[in-house]
Amino acid sequence: MPPIKLAIIGAGPSSFYVASRLLASLPPSSPHHSALRIHMYDRLWAPHGLVRYGVAPDHPEVKNCTHKFDDAASDLRLQFFGNVNIITTPPIAPVPGSVMLPLKSLISHYTHLLLSSGCTLPTLHPALPPSDDCVSALSLVHWYTQHPSVVHKPPPPLEKYKHVSIIGQGNVSLDVARMLLTPPSTLEKYDVPESVLEVLRRSSIKHVSILGRRGPLQAAFTTKELREMMNLEDSSMVPIDHTHLAIPEGTKLTRQQSRTMQLLQKGSKNKPGLDFQDLVVGLLRSPTGLAPPLSSLASPSLPYTLSLAHNELSPEMRAIPTGETSTLRTSMVVTALGHQAEPTIPWYDPSLRHVRAVGSRVVNETGHTMKNVYASGWAAMGARGVLVSTMIDAYGVADTMLADSFPEQFYKEGDALRSATDGGSLGDLSEVMAKEADLDSVPEEVLDAKATGNVTDYNDWRMIDQEEVRRGEKLGKERERMNWEDAKAFLGRMGGSL
Amino acid sequence: MLSPAVDSIRRRSIHLTAACQHGDITRPAPGTGIKLHFKDSKGNLIKTVEANEGDDVLSIAHEHDIDLEGACEGSVACSTCHVILDPNSYDLLPEPEDDENDMLDMAFGLTDTSRLGCQVQLTRELDGMTATLPSATRNMFVDGKKPTHH
Repeated sequence: MPPIKLAIIGAGPSSFYVASRLLASLPPSSPHHSALRIHMYDRLWAPHGLVRYGVAPDHPEVKNCTHKFDDAASDLRLQFFGNVNIITTPPIAPVPGSVMLPLKSLISHYTHLLLSSGCTLPTLHPALPPSDDCVSALSLVHWYTQHPSVVHKPPPPLEKYKHVSIIGQGNVSLDVARMLLTPPSTLEKYDVPESVLEVLRRSSIKHVSILGRRGPLQAAFTTKELREMMNLEDSSMVPIDHTHLAIPEGTKLTRQQSRTMQLLQKGSKNKPGLDFQDLVVGLLRSPTGLAPPLSSLASPSLPYTLSLAHNELSPEMRAIPTGETSTLRTSMVVTALGHQAEPTIPWYDPSLRHVRAVGSRVVNETGHTMKNVYASGWAAMGARGVLVSTMIDAYGVADTMLADSFPEQFYKEGDALRSATDGGSLGDLSEVMAKEADLDSVPEEVLDAKATGNVTDYNDWRMIDQEEVRRGEKLGKERERMNWEDAKAFLGRMGGSL
Repeated sequence: MLSPAVDSIRRRSIHLTAACQHGDITRPAPGTGIKLHFKDSKGNLIKTVEANEGDDVLSIAHEHDIDLEGACEGSVACSTCHVILDPNSYDLLPEPEDDENDMLDMAFGLTDTSRLGCQVQLTRELDGMTATLPSATRNMFVDGKKPTHH
């Protein structure tokens, strides 16, 4: 069988779990051991995707998964190319400093392709167009993780905010709430950049409202994140209206739902009142508009009026407006309504808002399966699930790829697409990838950019990783992050050459 | 009411030490350790191993090359080391703490006798325990979304 020369677009957890599974499935004892090369491309200079630029700083344990990624990268069959943006058309949100590589140039060097570039754009709310004081949760996450796309953007002016309204009730919304309400003295031991801590220390935020259009049983956050919010040291939750916590008759709760309900009923560890910052979980509320700031008000720290429609749940658990409305005075609105893939990525489906894939395999707009083209993670599934779901999905994708490439060794039971056709073939496949490829060739554009010092490899990352930890130790914290300018200087690549 | 809290702190600190040393546990002399059977999701025996009192199931699995993930390395921040225990052994264990339950909420194929491998420490009375690995791959050909045609 011909070898697998795989290009992976994206170097986040899904990419690394797929790579790790492929490498482990073809150990030195396998006849196909040397018939595998993986080149992983990321538009950012640092690998690990959302593990570096998404996981909340106060969840350092989650980042332990990178040890497994480091192990995978120590296999000589895997190479990482950071700062390379694979494009079909110019991206909507280009990353400064990233090298543009047309997909066409890439695929002529590879027999296999994996799209694993995640969901990198925030889903916006139609009634809340972005402005200086109405931002996506992602932009705040990018700020506190120092994502390359925000390096030259000003930080949020937390010193002038008193009340923040967060729209959406998933884990990202709770992450943002936690970052805004946790005392900086608690956060400073974690991987929070000094520049971010400075802004947090100046914050005037006293109230945070987390608003969702449906009830507690439909909220997307997980119990751990909710429990952390209930245990915040300097905040208390305003008790939730009991009518909103009533469980409709005949509803059978899942384990997670009943534990969520217990937590919400019990309330926060700190009881409301005293000097705590307060937190409101607003259920069955949909924003309908944000009135422009009024400067003449008595309270200049709360310039905005957020209009809310009140909802009830239909028997199908949809949010139906009751006709009642209310308003909320606020200083800043943060929308945390989920994420979607870049529409410019190949085989993007606008109705799904991610890549069109069936059972790991990418499908084109006419319904044909693309030969040797796969998708994994959020790029394939949409933005949902925690690390374990990403890992399980990735292992399934790797297993499918192995079964397609080396069927005699990796036949996969229950593959409906195969069993639906005679002889287990995949039927009418569209071919885009190279039939053969030099196992070690790399597109010239990438080599050229690497020669000028603009493309990183995994050894660069290991050095930067160690240095960040070393700089962090000096400050008594987990690590102090570098941006690309710092990293280039550290690697001795000032002036764009080695 | 002090003792359960103290016990929980003690359990946690032991476990944190273990977390730093995954794969570093020592094997008992053959025939002297606590027996533990690992089975795959179909119930087939993978391996029977011996371990020492206090060793946790995740570390034991890694020591013996059993395919049990531990993405957060035993810090109760993921559910990748989910195992299903035999009911008798499950009943002998102290109840899971809130943080473990929070992670079990997200485990795939959760059962009434599910635990996180990193939180199960062996005692003499657990000799002969069976830990079954849940099915690691979702059947994506059934779950997979149908493509939309344009």
